[in-house]
Formats: sequence, C-alpha cells, structure tokens
Amino acid sequence: MKMKKMLAVGLTCSLAAMLAAGCSDSGKTSGKSSDSGVTHLEFFSSKMENVSTMQKLVDKFNSQNTDVQITLNSPADAGTVLKTRMTKDDLPDIIAYGGDNIYTELTEAGILLDLSDQEVLKTINDSYMQMVYDINGDKAEKAYGIPFAANASGVIYNTDLFQKAGVTIPETWDEFIAACEKLSAAGIQPFELSFKDSWTILPSWNSLAPATQPEGFLDAKKEGTATFLGTHEEVLEKYSKLVNYAQTDFMGTSYDDGNRSFANGEAAMLINGVWAVPEIKKTNESINLDMFAYPASNDKSKNKVVSGIDVMLMVTNQCKNPEAAKRFVAFMLEPENSQLYINEQFAFSPVEGVVQEDASVAGLAKDIADGKVTDFVDHYYPNGYNLSAILSEFFLNKANGMDESENIAATLKKCDEQYDILNTR
Amino acid sequence: MNKHRNNHISPAFYLMVVPVAALFFLLHTVPFLKGIFYSFTNWKGYGNWEFIGFKNFLQFFKDPSIKQAYGFTFQFALSATVLVNVLSLALACGLNGKIRGKNLLKALYFLPYMLGTLIIGFVFNFIFGNIIPGFGKMAGIPGLSVNILGTSKAWLGVLFVTVWQSMAFNTMIYLSGLQTVDKDIYDAASVDGAVGLQRFIKITFPLIAPFFTINMVLSVKSFLMAFDQIMAMTGGGPGTATTTISMLIYKRGFDGGQFAYQSANAVILFLVVASISVFQLKILEKREAKVN
Repeated sequence: MKMKKMLAVGLTCSLAAMLAAGCSDSGKTSGKSSDSGVTHLEFFSSKMENVSTMQKLVDKFNSQNTDVQITLNSPADAGTVLKTRMTKDDLPDIIAYGGDNIYTELTEAGILLDLSDQEVLKTINDSYMQMVYDINGDKAEKAYGIPFAANASGVIYNTDLFQKAGVTIPETWDEFIAACEKLSAAGIQPFELSFKDSWTILPSWNSLAPATQPEGFLDAKKEGTATFLGTHEEVLEKYSKLVNYAQTDFMGTSYDDGNRSFANGEAAMLINGVWAVPEIKKTNESINLDMFAYPASNDKSKNKVVSGIDVMLMVTNQCKNPEAAKRFVAFMLEPENSQLYINEQFAFSPVEGVVQEDASVAGLAKDIADGKVTDFVDHYYPNGYNLSAILSEFFLNKANGMDESENIAATLKKCDEQYDILNTR
Repeated sequence: MNKHRNNHISPAFYLMVVPVAALFFLLHTVPFLKGIFYSFTNWKGYGNWEFIGFKNFLQFFKDPSIKQAYGFTFQFALSATVLVNVLSLALACGLNGKIRGKNLLKALYFLPYMLGTLIIGFVFNFIFGNIIPGFGKMAGIPGLSVNILGTSKAWLGVLFVTVWQSMAFNTMIYLSGLQTVDKDIYDAASVDGAVGLQRFIKITFPLIAPFFTINMVLSVKSFLMAFDQIMAMTGGGPGTATTTISMLIYKRGFDGGQFAYQSANAVILFLVVASISVFQLKILEKREAKVN
C-alpha cells in the first residue's frame, strides 16, 4: 500500500515538473542586453537552406569583433514566426529575409530603419536597389533593406542531351518550340514538369508574364484599373503549348520525383530556379547542366533573367545598438564575404564585381552582371494570393479536355476575382 | 454521523478532476473563445485590427470557394462514413467468428490506427506516385499509369487511404459490441431457424445499437474535419479539387492573411459539426431505446 502511494506521489510530481518545464519561457534568444561593454545582437534568418553558410559568416564576424557578438536564429516557418513576433512587439535586431510581399508588409509596419545613408550601398548593383524601391510600401526610394543575395529562375538544361540532339540555346519563343520539336524527334523528352507540387507551376508564369503583360500592369492591377482577363491570354496560351512537350503524368509528379528523373537524364529541361540545382546534384553529382534565360517572347529585348532578391538584410527599430548592427550588415556585404555566400549557395551577388563562377549557372551570370534582370511578378501580388492553385486547376481542366479558350477565360477571371478579394481586405 | 458520511465526497476526486479541467480550459476553451472573438474582427494574424461585426459571416455566404469546400467535404464525409462503417461491421463480424489466427488478424487490422495519419498519407503518396504507375505501365493499363492524385479523381485516392486507416478504430468498437451479445441469444435464434443475414439484421444489429451510434457520430465528425490525409497527399489539389473546409481554413487563414475571416469559417464549421452530431445522437438514441 505504501509503495502504491509513493508511486502515485512520484508520478504526480514528475507530471507537475514536466508541466512547469513546458510552460516556462524557453529563454529569449534576442539578447538585447550589453554586459561589460559587449553588445549582443540577434540575427534572424529566414532560410533553412543557408544556415551553415550564415553561421560561418557570423562566426567570422564574432571573431573579428569582440565588442559585438551576433547570435544566429534560423527557425522553421520563419515567415509565421516573424509575424507572430511582430504582434508580441518582440523584434529581432537584424533580419535576413527574401524580397517578397512579407518584406513589403514589414516596410508598411514602420519597423525597419532606413539604411539609405550607408556607404556600402554604393557597391550595390542599381537594378537590385531598384527592385527594393519597387517592393517598398508606397514604393519609397528608401533602403529599408539592402540586397544580400539574388536568385535566378529560368530553364535548367542537360548539356549532354542538348548536344546529343544538336540543339542550341533558344533565344526566342519560336526557337524554344523548335528546340522542343528537335528534342522530341531525337527521342528525348523535352521537359520534366512536377505540377503535383503546385508551386513549381509558378516559374514559367513568372517568366512569361513580365515579357508579355502590358507595361505598368502590376501597378494598374493594384489600383484596380487593369485585369488579368484581356492581358494574360498569351501567357496561358504559350504555357499550354509548352506542357505538351512534358511527360504524360506531369500533374501527378512531385518536385522531388521530377528532380530525380531529370537528374537521371530522363528529360532535357527543367523549368525552375537555381535553388533546384543542389537538389538535382544530390541525385547525380556528375550531371552536366547549365541554365539559360526563359525565352518568353520573340522580341529578344524582352527576354530577361527572372531574378529576385533571395536574401536582404534589414535592421529593426527595436535594436538597442543600431551602429553595431550596421557594422554587421556592412561586413556581410564585403566582397570576400559575399563571394563565400554565393559560392556555397549557388546564388548571385548584388555587389558589383562579385561574380558567380559555377559552371552550372554560367548561362545566366552574364545577363545578371549586365543587369538584364526582371523581378518575380508574384512578389507584387497580395500576400496570400494562391496563384499556384488557380493554375493547377487550369491544367486539370486541360487534362479533362476543356475547350482551351473557355479554360483560359475562366482561369483569368478567377485570377482577377481572387486578387481583388485580397486587395481590398 | 451517517448523514455526514453520505454527503462527503472524497477530495481525491476533486484532485483528479480539477487540474485537468483547468488545463483543458486554459489550452482548449480559452483559445476557442478567442477564435470566436477574432471572427468579429479583421485581424490578419499580426498588425492592427478593428471590429467589423458580422461582416465576415456575411462574406462567408457569398464566397464561392467556401461553397466548394463545404460541398466537397460533405461529399467526402458521406462516402467515407458509409464505406468505413459497412466495411468495419463486416470485418468485425468476421473477426468475431470462429476463425484461426484471430488474434493475429486483429492485431494486423488494427495496425493502421497505430500509424500516424500523416505518415500513412506520405507513404501512400509514394505508392500512388511511383509504385502504382510503375505497375500500370508494366501491365499496360493507361488508367493506372498515372498518379491518381494528380487527376480529377484524386479524392478517390484520399478516400481509399482514409477508409483503410479509419476502419481499424471502428472495427474495434464493433467487435467489442459484438462481444457483448450473449451467446445464448444466438443459440435461441438458431433454434427458431434464424441464421446468416437474417440473424444479423433482426438480432445482432439491433443489439449493438449503442456501438453503432458511437461509430456514426465519431465518423461523421472526424471526416467533416478531415485535414491530415489531405495535407499529406494532395495539399488540397490539384487546383482546389480536394480542399476540405479544414484545409481552406488553414491555407487561407495562415498563409493567406485571412485569419479573422477563416476564424469565422471555423466557428461555422463548429456549429455545423455540433448540430449534426446532436441530431445524430437524438435519432440514434431514440432507435436504441426502441430496440431495447
């Protein structure tokens, strides 16, 4: 009887202890305190893919600067975490985030410091700074964030298969289709598409839309003076033609399976961005691949590399020591450090003179260095706009035999409807 | 002295109930009430918000994507409930009979319940994407050569997996129900000449009425709230073909910045599920009473 009682008490105590442990604050990582003259700053980074590289840079800074110590914090689902912290008024000191609509929200919330007076800005490529101004709330020409790394989206191709079929890099839309025909004739599947993971439907849209939509569409759409219906038919017509050159079950192939098939040489081209390259290489280290800009139009001048700001650095107004934070930002943008990052991450640097030399993305490097880039249009759509679901339905309808023009009209109408709902909320 | 004894409730009972009740209130009821509160605002989940009264609920009835989600969810829940309960009942009857390896079979059929819904979803994702098309291509059957989850029939794939996994729990309930039926009744029935299907319909089924009630109410409730398997297998796609109400709330509420609006959706879903459950209970309990 005594044993039972002891067991009961013991279990209750351990339960209470676990409860206490679970409820206790798991230690705030944002060290805003400065003890004995050392400033501790929190560096919040949104990407899981670059954690090791970021940590290297942070360690390097910490060893060179004993009066400022940076702690890297890279949680999963960073967007949601950041938004939650905003509501709790518990902001990190320095943030590394992509140049997308969440950044726009941050600028509109008025929590970022204006870094326009920083020396380091002079070393940044103009087209990338222009992108920052374009995505600022109210398009203010202020440097609320400084671009740190850029990505690129286009067409990844297997150089061996291209050589085998005798195909050269297409520079216009017509040449693109001709290349597909040539590949098919040689018994090579032109594309591997993976629409089951519907976000992979976006890269083509992001390449086709900027080259074919009317000038100033994105602003006009925001103001409600333009519609997708009537302006984006060409995008869907071309996209629809393209998928005919992919594998039969492109609706049911996942991103991972698609990468694997491409890596195993089952198709000549993959439409995605540089971030897919490491994934492909995981399956097949020795694959010979390169990228070229998506030739969306027959007008060569409109065919640009779609490149967005993958990582930008910001300092929040809650930082107790902004000078120290700005030192860290300048450090990150030093050519040597920028080079380290882009080498490890297959990214492109917005810093003048820092060049991406990896052969796998050589096809794009020149265009990017020349500033022949255009941003991802989906960065300008409202937060929460589910374009991938709309386009996925377009292709499902196509697979079910819906009349093409009916399908296009219905899809564009949906694009407008869903955009408008989010735009007015 | 005696009177005092009868009214005195041992403190042990309070000790067991109160802490758990407090936890439940804190972690379940409070967020629930908060959700209802936010459904009257326009909060995005962060930033500023203001009261907008019933605007969310009015918008709810005009929203085509909500109609589609509710329509699909009801279709899915109905199909799943019928299939799961019919198959579970059949299986339970089978397992209740005199067969060899009964315990092994019971363990085998219960296995799906032990595996998490998400894990099963991912595994079947792979099966539908690689194994079945592989087999279909070899056998030359065009219908099976594609991933069913990428077609308009994707919901059938999800239904199959859901039914397979849910059967375990329902079978267990039915089995325990069947075991409460006194063997003497069966003997009496066979004397009167009632066997097989007739015996099942007239005798067995009425006697397991309470278990049928439990299973029906729980089935409908859990299928109306289906989320894990959809998330793991199709993510609501292709397009929005397999988007259930819970998927819609999650996607639009968190990714889509429609936190408050989807909270309203969640409140309505709660009311729908609660009223259906209460309605079911009333009808089925009346039936139980009639039968007994």
